[in-house]
Amino acid sequence: MANLRIEQLNKRYGATTVLNNVNLSIEDGEFVVLVGPSGCGKSTLLRMIAGLDGASGGDIHIAGKLVNALAPAERGIAMVFQSYALYPHMNVRKNMTFGLKFTGVPPTERERRVAEAARMLRLEELLERYPRDLSGGQRQRVAIGRAIVREPAVFLFDEPLSNLDAALRVSTRVEIANLHRLLKSTIVYVTHDQVEAMTLADRIVVMNKGRIEQVGKPLDLYYEPANLFVAGFIGSPAMNFFEAEVEGIEGGRARVAGTAFRNLDIPAGSLKVGDALTVGVRPEHLVRGEAGFFAAEGVVELVERLGEASFAYLRRVDGRMFVAEVRGRQTPAPGEAATLVAASPDVHVFDASGLRVAT
Amino acid sequence: MTTDQRARSISVHLVLIAYSLLAVGPILLVVMNSFKVRSAIFGSPLALPDASTFSLVGYEKVFRSSHILTYYSNSLIVTLVSMALVLLFGAMAAWALTEYRFRGSTALALFLSIGIMVPIRLGSVAILNMMRSAGLNDTLTALILVYVAQGLPMSIFILSEFIQQIPKDLRDAARCDGVPETRIFFEVVAPLLRPAIATVAVFTIVPIWNDLWFPLILTSSDSTHTVTLGVQQFLGQYITDWNSVLAALSMAILPVVVIYVILSRQLIAGLTSGAVK
Amino acid sequence: MPEPVSNITVQMPRAKRAGLLLFFLGPAVAIYSLFSIYPLVATMALSTYTSDPSGARSFVGLANFETLLGDALWSKPFWNALRNNLIFFAVHMCVQNPIGIALAGLLSLRGVRLKGFYRTVMFLPTMLSVVIVGFSWNLILSPLWGVAAGALKAVGLGSLFAPWLGLESSALVTLSLISVWQFVGIPLMLIYAALLNIPEELIDAARVDGLGQFRIFFHIKLPLVLPTISLVSVLTFVANFNAFDLIYSVKGALAGPNFTTDILGTFFYRTFFGNQLQLGNPTMGAAVATVMFFIILLGLCLYLFLVQRRIRRYAF
Repeated sequence: MANLRIEQLNKRYGATTVLNNVNLSIEDGEFVVLVGPSGCGKSTLLRMIAGLDGASGGDIHIAGKLVNALAPAERGIAMVFQSYALYPHMNVRKNMTFGLKFTGVPPTERERRVAEAARMLRLEELLERYPRDLSGGQRQRVAIGRAIVREPAVFLFDEPLSNLDAALRVSTRVEIANLHRLLKSTIVYVTHDQVEAMTLADRIVVMNKGRIEQVGKPLDLYYEPANLFVAGFIGSPAMNFFEAEVEGIEGGRARVAGTAFRNLDIPAGSLKVGDALTVGVRPEHLVRGEAGFFAAEGVVELVERLGEASFAYLRRVDGRMFVAEVRGRQTPAPGEAATLVAASPDVHVFDASGLRVAT
Repeated sequence: MTTDQRARSISVHLVLIAYSLLAVGPILLVVMNSFKVRSAIFGSPLALPDASTFSLVGYEKVFRSSHILTYYSNSLIVTLVSMALVLLFGAMAAWALTEYRFRGSTALALFLSIGIMVPIRLGSVAILNMMRSAGLNDTLTALILVYVAQGLPMSIFILSEFIQQIPKDLRDAARCDGVPETRIFFEVVAPLLRPAIATVAVFTIVPIWNDLWFPLILTSSDSTHTVTLGVQQFLGQYITDWNSVLAALSMAILPVVVIYVILSRQLIAGLTSGAVK
Repeated sequence: MPEPVSNITVQMPRAKRAGLLLFFLGPAVAIYSLFSIYPLVATMALSTYTSDPSGARSFVGLANFETLLGDALWSKPFWNALRNNLIFFAVHMCVQNPIGIALAGLLSLRGVRLKGFYRTVMFLPTMLSVVIVGFSWNLILSPLWGVAAGALKAVGLGSLFAPWLGLESSALVTLSLISVWQFVGIPLMLIYAALLNIPEELIDAARVDGLGQFRIFFHIKLPLVLPTISLVSVLTFVANFNAFDLIYSVKGALAGPNFTTDILGTFFYRTFFGNQLQLGNPTMGAAVATVMFFIILLGLCLYLFLVQRRIRRYAF
């Protein structure tokens, strides 16, 4: 298949910059997920790869070819839309073959591709039906089938699971992952749901306000977020953050202190006394204990029991809340005071500009 | 934009401009020339009036020889009263049809929608007889009654769609509070129908103002003529007097155009929102 | 009509319910029945009578219709008017609606600036009174004024000019085109609204599928607005067979030259009210109106049963 290279891509609408000098390189066969909050530019980026919107600057290469001036159909891409975008007045078979007619694919080849895609997606019985007679999940599969028959260099998915209910979302997610394994295709997938990103991606691109915050394998982003934004975005419930500052520096180590946790010390690096810092710990890394690399005290206010895992919401000394995961049937009771500790690999420190500081 | 896209955009605009000129050209021509002296009308019809060719002689004639102001007030009265009644009675009927379940409601709805398609003019013979025997011949009231009957079906149809969209909770809450039905309608539902007024207005006002048939049939004396009829008769009478003819046409055109331009956004929104159903 | 929303009237005492319904429905139903339905029915009843010069009426059953359709004195002008009406309608269907559809298609393209301006301007003729339109065009096309002749000469087509409104061969078509000029706004607006309803993602999918704008219009947009187009056709049909004002204001009741512009509306008016050539004949007029009613009804039924059934309205 192909690789996709994006260089210095930017997009402006009048005075607003929606994409700011985005650089990205995607290998052949990779499943890359663009994730971020609403308005971060991920859908805009996808549309520009597709050729549906033009760029204000920068280059896009697909399979080694510069595609800036090419129409969507000439770029070797296929797109699956959030609302499926099936032609209501055509049946499933026609929906899938319609585009192929206009790109000069002969009838026998069209039939072959449709049969193949229908088999892969279990659509054989639905080929003569119309979109209005199909369920949401079935429509989505048809939309995917329409993309598959184009045999594109790159598949583009624009939040394809957002319109499905929860159970369907999980099963369709699995199907998409399976498809990727089968077809070994290059996929660029946009979602605002970080669970989808974590489960589907070979690499995740976290975006915020038109910029790429971090690119990396899912677990790399989870265990080593490069900045505050990524740390707070990946992981659910979100990472707990504690305000801190450098109290003192001795012998190459800096003492980090904050109102809501006991002092801890990290390598001094380029830190100076008085620097503002943020300390982050994930709820799932906090355990009850007496002492540890990181320790914070709080009073339990609420416990959400979800079965084997529960989440305890504690009020800390500075009045704010933090969350800790509790496993097992025994959960703390509201009103209990507790000390939660975490080991040093699980503690993240970020400087005033949000960048990671070594611990 | 790529050159391809630019070329396409230009050709699209060319077509649109060409048609716009065709749409507006004749009107501009008439209005422009109504302000010129006769020789200039024939000599240089496409030229704007300038100091030497400017003249209001046609307008003077129109004001002197016809009762154009009476015609205007007649048209205004008929149109506004008809629209008010169409809105009021139409909303009330639409409310009862969409809100209350009773035997025969579907049949009644069907009965009322016949009028949308079947032209009321076909019954003119009987209408004229009725008006004569009721002594309403040659009155504005006759026109109003006929126009209300004509406008009700469409307005009931449009208003029913609007009423359907008012949240049910509002009416149920009022009922729980013990508010009587009539007050629910006039004080809770009716104020929410304001957007519908634009839609109903488009379908009602324009046909009434521009109608020639019923004023022709139902009114005989000059004092009850509407603008449309009055202008038509004036034109027939002074057909060779180009200044007056152009002036009369312009006087009929200009108020409509001015109001249209001011209200165009609402009018078009009304047309597109109501009609898509 | 949609299903009634609440059941509150079901539990009411009968008298109260009757009073409520009477209050809300009474005025509308009364005026409508009295001035819309009753006259129609009365006219149809009247058409079964005949009147003599003294004004006395006698029942003759369907004799008026036999005369209208068979007796040369009546049937010739009748069939002539009907034929002209069909030509009038054909011109509208072949010119007005395609132009309206094409303009709506252009206006609904993404990224067209000044949309509001174009829409306002193109809809302007529809707002004007038919009298104004008729007369203005009469002047413009008049050989006396020379505006039309001059315009044609400017593009080198001067030899094409003729006093079209005055010639038997071209008067009807010319009047039809004037009517088209005025009413293009209606299909334009309705189809434009329907085109706007098509979700943008569908057009994007078509672009990704490789369709250019033309193909997108013909294969995607047009099929999806077919219900609106058929609605427009029905509206055109009813309006055309109800037409009168334009012919009357340009040509008068006699619909000259030589009745070539006579349509059912003017024929009806002349029959009923009379003119310098004939006395008014209310019963024959009623017969003409009844026939017009059935023609329109026939058209509506054909539409409902043949077209409405087959056309699907697509929900997005």
